[in-house]
Amino acid sequence: MSAEIEEILKRYGNYPNVAGIIIVDAFAIPIKTTMEYTLTVHYAALAHNLLMKGSKMTQNLDASNELTALRLRTLNHEVMIVPEENFFIIVVQKPGQ
Amino acid sequence: MSAEVEEMLKHFHSMKNVAGIVVIDNDGIPIKSTLEHTLSVHYAATMQTLLEKARQVVLDLDATNELSFLRMRTLYHEIMLCPKADYFIVVIQNPSE
Repeated sequence: MSAEIEEILKRYGNYPNVAGIIIVDAFAIPIKTTMEYTLTVHYAALAHNLLMKGSKMTQNLDASNELTALRLRTLNHEVMIVPEENFFIIVVQKPGQ
Repeated sequence: MSAEVEEMLKHFHSMKNVAGIVVIDNDGIPIKSTLEHTLSVHYAATMQTLLEKARQVVLDLDATNELSFLRMRTLYHEIMLCPKADYFIVVIQNPSE
């Protein structure tokens, strides 16, 4: 699993507008991050919570459906949360021009 | 406001792959919808809760930031939520291949 994570970090780290990448395990504990620690933990907790809610909402609407990605566009950046099997990835991106 | 809503509905309706559009006011009531009523009300309730949670996540991370758009990718479709001042729009789109 950690080889997979390294590969993900490398892949996303090469994009020009990526401000940060956080890999969070199933218990909302950040296992890898490119941002500073307090902010990472903050993002991890909030994103985990939102992902759980989003997942529940999707299944509420259609029991066979599943959430595969969540994207939040804000004024200053875009946050993408992608759940994988044993972990989930948060990517914070500055919107390009 | 309802002229604006009508115009937007027309605009989105003309796009390909749109499976449904629901316009929901601040009280969680679907004011315009292309889906049948029970489903619209279901979407209104679940999406409003999720939108509120997402707004709070953004505000919690940075008090000057605001949520401008939320996109959920699921197995079968993509759900886009756009919050406006007095209402929010949910567009359900079938992803093209």
